[in-house]
Amino acid sequence: MTAIQARATHIPAPAGRLSFFRQLRSEYLKLTTVRGTWWSIGIVAVITIAIAFAVTSAISGPVENIMMAVLMPVQFTMLIAAILGVISVTGEYSTGMIRSTFTADPVRGAVVAAKATVLGVFMFVVSLITFGVAAIGISPIAASKDMAVDWADPSKTILPIISASAVMALFALLGVGLGFLLRSGAGAIAVTVGIVFILPTVLGLLGMWLSDLTWISDLAKYLPASLAPNAILPSEGAEMNAAQSLGVLAAWPAAALLGAWAVVRGRDV
Amino acid sequence: MITAEGLGKRYGDKVAVDDVSFTVRPGSVTGFLGPNGAGKSTTMRMIVGLDRPTTGRVTINGQDYRKLRAPLTEVGVLLDAKAVHTGRSARNHLRAMAATHGIPNSRVDEVIDITGIGSVARKRAGGFSLGMGQRLGIAAALLGDPHTLILDEPVNGLDPEGVRWVREFVRHAASEGRTVLLSSHLMSEMSQTADHVIVLGRGKVLADAALPDLVRAWTTARVHVRSPRAAELADAVAGRDVEIVTADPFTLDVTGLSASRIGDIAAERGIPVHELTPTSGSLEDAYLALTGDAVEYRTRAVPHTDAPLEGALA
Repeated sequence: MTAIQARATHIPAPAGRLSFFRQLRSEYLKLTTVRGTWWSIGIVAVITIAIAFAVTSAISGPVENIMMAVLMPVQFTMLIAAILGVISVTGEYSTGMIRSTFTADPVRGAVVAAKATVLGVFMFVVSLITFGVAAIGISPIAASKDMAVDWADPSKTILPIISASAVMALFALLGVGLGFLLRSGAGAIAVTVGIVFILPTVLGLLGMWLSDLTWISDLAKYLPASLAPNAILPSEGAEMNAAQSLGVLAAWPAAALLGAWAVVRGRDV
Repeated sequence: MITAEGLGKRYGDKVAVDDVSFTVRPGSVTGFLGPNGAGKSTTMRMIVGLDRPTTGRVTINGQDYRKLRAPLTEVGVLLDAKAVHTGRSARNHLRAMAATHGIPNSRVDEVIDITGIGSVARKRAGGFSLGMGQRLGIAAALLGDPHTLILDEPVNGLDPEGVRWVREFVRHAASEGRTVLLSSHLMSEMSQTADHVIVLGRGKVLADAALPDLVRAWTTARVHVRSPRAAELADAVAGRDVEIVTADPFTLDVTGLSASRIGDIAAERGIPVHELTPTSGSLEDAYLALTGDAVEYRTRAVPHTDAPLEGALA
């Protein structure tokens, strides 16, 4: 017993101080050591690649850019990105882990920033790889149908892939922000689904019913579900180009994270 | 050193902690006692910056916890065993905590070893028993080799070996000059562990004293006497301020006289004495006397009947 005690307290722990880089490392470890993360990206990869193959195989006629087969699934997977963002935060609240997190690093703003950074970069990289694999995977089929992936023109391939990955990252960040704001997984996921799927439908119906009120349909253009496709492969004659759409889309997670930062700092855990 | 000055916390209308001031000194184990709802856990949460005080302040070595640059190396805290993500393995939990301070994996393995959770360290924490969860919480508290330990109910759910380990561990930590604040409901355990006791009741400090002083002030010392001529001895020692209780013709429980005085009186009269045992009150007696009016969630007294239990329940 004495020997154990001596070990318990006599060996000095070579510990350093808090730093943002170390908080990033901690958040990365936390993200990659729970199963939910791997389930989420596994589902994203499977959905993306399956839809890409299905669409490429099904299409017969000429299309403007076959990359849409690879990037169109973002409409579904962006919700999974947001849910991963949500559960990375609310999982800490529901299990009590958040108390360990905030006692280890009482600078809560730094914790929010580190978690957001890790989720954003992680989602971006995972998406980049997924879209890259899907694009390369469909290339032979597309080429055989005379719709070859046009790697020579980055604006048709590389840039949309980067934009789509950024969109995925922004949805993950929206999830992180909503997670910190609401603390409840069910609540934050419900709000995310509301923003992504329900709000566009509601505004669409209202727009048809009250067709004089043009601001309703204007407003609908600024919803994430409308901005995301335009940020990836902008349609002909769209008011905003890809970069503008991406910028406006970024306002959503920015607002959620700013709100989270403001609330978390003063709140009792 | 932990210093609370006029510390208060209010949740809506409910006052959880009301103008509490105390000092927890290094080099000794300070016990934090009080009935459920007395404000112990709230106070501990305020010490480590999880809850913001409504009034007053609490500091660790003169500093606000939230301003510490390396909190894990200053304060090790076990607030409850469930401050762990259930889906993560114990070792990964500790690694993630350690990463915030650049504490190497070798120290992670060391605290796993110290707390004896090596066999389950790679299993998900959600499946841990209460005792294993408690050990994991203590392991996390030890990561930074902190100067101050704050342990809320650390022996809750531990087996006797674990209880003893915690006792010897905190005694050793205090002997090295560390500051230890420990809460527990196990009075016998606390009386073996703590040097100093702070008792909270309804959010206020009811007592703040060295453990022996507290026990002396709130309990009465008795002398247990056995003699074949007990009745004669009882007459001899009787007097003002002396209270005698007899359970049978050969034993006396005397309050108000020291054992030596009773022995002297017996010797003067030539009364044989077979046993003369001074018994002091326990921490539990002192605690119950102190908190009698401050218990928020009082239990109903169990009625004393001679009926068998089955009959009483029927």
